Amino acid sequence: MLDVRKNLFAPILVFAIGLAAAHGQSSTAQSRPLVKTDAVTYLFPEQVSVPAGKPTHVTLHFRIAQGLHVNSHTPNYEYLIPTTFSIPDGAGVQLASASYPAGSLMALTYDPTTKLSVYTGEFIIQVSIVATAGNHLVEGKLRYQACDNNQCMPPKTITVAIDVIGK
Amino acid sequence: MRRNTLVLGATLLILAIFAWAGWANWEYRRQEAERLLSGTSQGELVPAPGGGTPQYVSPLNGKPAPAFELKDLSGNKVSLESYRGKAVLVNFWATWCGPCRVETPWIIELRNKYAARGFEVLGVDTEGDDLEKNDKAGWAKATAAAGKFVAEEKISYPVLLDGDSISRDYGGLDDLPISFFVDRKGVVVAAQVGLTSESDIESKIQKALAN
Repeated sequence: MLDVRKNLFAPILVFAIGLAAAHGQSSTAQSRPLVKTDAVTYLFPEQVSVPAGKPTHVTLHFRIAQGLHVNSHTPNYEYLIPTTFSIPDGAGVQLASASYPAGSLMALTYDPTTKLSVYTGEFIIQVSIVATAGNHLVEGKLRYQACDNNQCMPPKTITVAIDVIGK
Repeated sequence: MRRNTLVLGATLLILAIFAWAGWANWEYRRQEAERLLSGTSQGELVPAPGGGTPQYVSPLNGKPAPAFELKDLSGNKVSLESYRGKAVLVNFWATWCGPCRVETPWIIELRNKYAARGFEVLGVDTEGDDLEKNDKAGWAKATAAAGKFVAEEKISYPVLLDGDSISRDYGGLDDLPISFFVDRKGVVVAAQVGLTSESDIESKIQKALAN
C-alpha cells in the first residue's frame, strides 16, 4: 500500500502544479488588454547565423495591412512618428546600424497639398548586427504609426523575434 | 499487477484532467476576450441614407457620456460633469494624426459660432498611447507637442491631456479622430470616427444643442 502511495505521489504533485498553472493563466487573462490586429506584420527571417563579433547585414521584411500606410523613417513633417527599428540592450546582439527605404510620396484626398512620406504594402529594413557567440532570441522592436485615408491608429511597437546564432 | 493498474489509471486520469484544464483555459480566454470586446463599446460605420457620409454608430449613443476628470495643459483638473447644462463635443485627437489636424480649424470655427448658444468643445489629447507610465521624457515630449499644436492653431477651448486613460470607457479609441456629441443632460446623441466634413460635424452639434 505504501508503494502505491509512493507511485501516486509524483503524478498527483504534477497534477496539482498543472492546475495551479492553468489557474494562474486564467487570472492573467482577466487583466490582459485586448489584442488587436497589427497594421504591420513582421515576415522574416526567423533565424539567422552570423559570425560572432563581426557586423553582419540582415534584411528584415515587413508587411503593412491593405489600405493602410505608415510613415517612413523620415516623414516630411516633424509632428509625424517615424518608423524605427531597435534592439533592446542586453540581448547579446547589438544593432550597429539600420538602413531604411525611402518613403513613397502620398497626398491624401482631404489634404492634397500635404505630401506624406510613407510605406505601403511590403517594405524591408537593412540592419547590421553584432552578436556574441551562442544562441540569442532577439526581441527587436519596430515602432510605427499607421493611418488610412480618413483616420489614424495610435502609434504601436511590435516585437520582431529573431533567433540569432553567433558562431 | 494491481499496483501497476492503479498507477496507469491515475496517470491517464491526470492526463485527461490536464487536457480538460487546457480546454477550459482556452475557453475561458475566448469568453474573456468576447466580454472585453463588448465592454469596450466599439461602434461601427454604417452607410448613410442616400449614400452620404458613412455614420459612426457608437454603443454609447443614447447613454450618459462616461464621466472623466483630466488635467489641461496648465495642470488644472477639468471634468465633463462641470459642463452639465451645455452641449459638449468631446473630441479625441493627437498631433501625429493628420485627419485630426484637418478637422481642428473646423471645430474651432464651429465652437466660436455656437458658443453663445451653450456649446463647448473639450479637446482630449491621446498623444501617448504606447508610452509607459514611467516614461517621463516621452510624456514631457508628448505634452510639449500638444501645447505647440494648441498654440499654432490658436485653440480657444480646453485641451485635456492623457486621454488614453479614459479610452476604454469611450470604446478603445483605436482610430482618430473620434468625437462624441453630448447634450445638455450629459447624454451622447451622436458620435463620429475619422474625418468627415465640417457640415457633418455642425449637424451633430445642432443635434446636441436641440436636446
